[in-house]
Amino acid sequence: MRRHTNVTRTPRAFRFIRQSAIGGAVAAIALSAASVAGAAAPTIPAPPSSAVTVAETGSSLLYPLWNLWQPVYSHQYPSVTISTASTGSGAGISQTLAGTANIGASDAYLAPAQVQANKNALNIPLAISSQFIAYNVPGVKNLKLSGNVIAQIYQGSITKWNAAPIAKLNKGVTLPSTPIVTVHRADGSGDTFIFSQFMSATNSTWNTKIPIGTTIPWPTVSGALAETGNSGMLSGCSATPGCIAYIGVSYLQKAQAANLGEALLQNAKGQFVLPTTATVTAAAASFTAKTPKSGAISMINSSAKGAYPIINYEYAIVLANQPSSTTASAIRSLLTWAISPAQGSSTTFLNSVNFVPLPAKVVTQSIAQIKKIK
Amino acid sequence: MPADGTPVGAVPIGVHGPSPSSAGQPPRGPTPWGRIANLARRNEETGWRVAGRIAVVLPLAALLFAITILAIKAWPSIRVNGFHFLTGSAWAPGSTYGSIIKTDGVSHPQGSSYGAWPLILGTIQTSVIAVVIALPISIGAAFAITERLPRSAARVLGFTVELLAGVPSVVFGLWGILTLGPFLAQNVYPHIANVMPDVPVLRYFRSPTGHGEGLLTGGIVLAIMIIPIITATTRDLLRQVPSLPKEGASSLGMTEWEVARSVTLPWVRSGVIGATVLGLGRAIGETIALAMVTGSIIQVAPNIYSPMTTIAATIISQLDSAQTDATGFAISALAEAALILAVISVVVNVIARMIINRTSRLGANA
Repeated sequence: MRRHTNVTRTPRAFRFIRQSAIGGAVAAIALSAASVAGAAAPTIPAPPSSAVTVAETGSSLLYPLWNLWQPVYSHQYPSVTISTASTGSGAGISQTLAGTANIGASDAYLAPAQVQANKNALNIPLAISSQFIAYNVPGVKNLKLSGNVIAQIYQGSITKWNAAPIAKLNKGVTLPSTPIVTVHRADGSGDTFIFSQFMSATNSTWNTKIPIGTTIPWPTVSGALAETGNSGMLSGCSATPGCIAYIGVSYLQKAQAANLGEALLQNAKGQFVLPTTATVTAAAASFTAKTPKSGAISMINSSAKGAYPIINYEYAIVLANQPSSTTASAIRSLLTWAISPAQGSSTTFLNSVNFVPLPAKVVTQSIAQIKKIK
Repeated sequence: MPADGTPVGAVPIGVHGPSPSSAGQPPRGPTPWGRIANLARRNEETGWRVAGRIAVVLPLAALLFAITILAIKAWPSIRVNGFHFLTGSAWAPGSTYGSIIKTDGVSHPQGSSYGAWPLILGTIQTSVIAVVIALPISIGAAFAITERLPRSAARVLGFTVELLAGVPSVVFGLWGILTLGPFLAQNVYPHIANVMPDVPVLRYFRSPTGHGEGLLTGGIVLAIMIIPIITATTRDLLRQVPSLPKEGASSLGMTEWEVARSVTLPWVRSGVIGATVLGLGRAIGETIALAMVTGSIIQVAPNIYSPMTTIAATIISQLDSAQTDATGFAISALAEAALILAVISVVVNVIARMIINRTSRLGANA
């Protein structure tokens, strides 16, 4: 992630290779040779030559990556126009199921009841993301927190930054008596989905009282704030001394620029870890074998050593039968391109949003799902 | 009637006999087009009447249609949540990822239960705060425009107030969240909170003053949005007050303030009440600005600075996630909230119209 910089090639270099090669197949071979992730790069199916627009909407966590992908892909394949929007995973799911958008970006997989009602819908893993806990306590660096303590904060039973349970995790650190202001998402959000899973996994009161979901009934906490989108969480938290917020890792650089702290979280092994390439990869590796063909799996609180506890697959929610074969072919091309380790999932793209590429097995499973789009 | 269908006595266009000017033109007898023109002219009256009837019925039909559809959509929520919907305070979508259960034949996610009381109360609170702030300012502005200011200044002020009415609410919302809210939270609210004693009612104005997103900020932004409505109506009413009683009062030695208080204001009182209720109606339905500045927390605000939400703001902020509830129960709850909002708005507007109509009749009799 941001802490290692083995950037090998820029997308510009890839474009050059592709343009100088004689045909698409030759380019694909050249690119797979250049692959850094070890996974065999899939052949990118060419999109239709006629003009086609692919509408993407949803997750504000995935949004920065779509904005990096969009110009590079459209430059390689000028016939495809991609529109991107950051509307929240809830909107991504619902607008795709309704047929308004072609690709719904979501940090949450489809609920079993949604799969039941929409047999035609796919959740295709695109990359691996994580979530960091931001805090606005000036002067306090490297704050350590556990899921259990965060759950008590969000339930209103810990109200000050120098409360005993926090002090116990941070021996030797001078904590202020500032009141804690909890911030949560006002819109339907995949970040709420994975955050509520982490809370349920680490706090038994939370687990019995509050369900997991993209919108949850928040316990009443004095002074709590609700914000829309990850950017809203970021600006709300940086404007509010004493705040705590859960934010998607693609906003980490912006949070650091806004002087927000990034909490070290206690994992299931008792270690305190930050979301880095190593800790997220360690967590993801422990779920790779269990990842079902449908891609729907929660990857919270991994029991692996050195694993970061809040990670998730970023999904493209897509209907398998598209209104036109032209659109279907453009979506197949775009999504294959996005997960190809040589293209959309190269370190150049993923490092800038602190994501980790899919393991080879999951890439293969995603390709199998992409091929169902007709 | 002649065989060609022309009405008796009607002179077909262009058959006035040859004249020098039309000599070179082809004859324009009762061509098919001419006949259609005649037919149209004859049916103009009927067409006009039918169009008029449709125009009268259409808005009413649209209103009934909207409310009926809302009621149908809301029915599962009405059945399951029952009266609790009006009094309960928990807005719980349930576990959309868990099991689906059935209550009274309605399937919904386990643990889902909707109580809209914080939304209903929030709608009333923001609207009442808006009216309390807007009413004195609007009456003052209307007086200034009609009585106090020189004509040129009055024209500029009147125009400005009307411009204010045309500003989209999203602009007020953005301004409220970026500028007004933080400003009030830093420079105004702490001062109000510090001087408030710990007694009933006023206790509601005490700390914590929050971060600028909440009930009072919402009310203030709403007030700015309804000031044009109340001002414009009050100004028009004040212009209708005859000058004789006012001049009489002045010649009896009343000061300008006394004239305003005991002659002009009583004259327009019920009209102003009507205008206020109209502004209230606008405030109740306002959506986007409130969704932006109230903090979007579904709770009964513990003090006047606290984040809260309204019915309209909740509908917009919860719609997308509600659509991810595969059973449709979350949508049904939003539809029920919308139904309540529609009923409140219709009632408030009907009351406003009744008051205004009564005043204009009184005005006509005077």
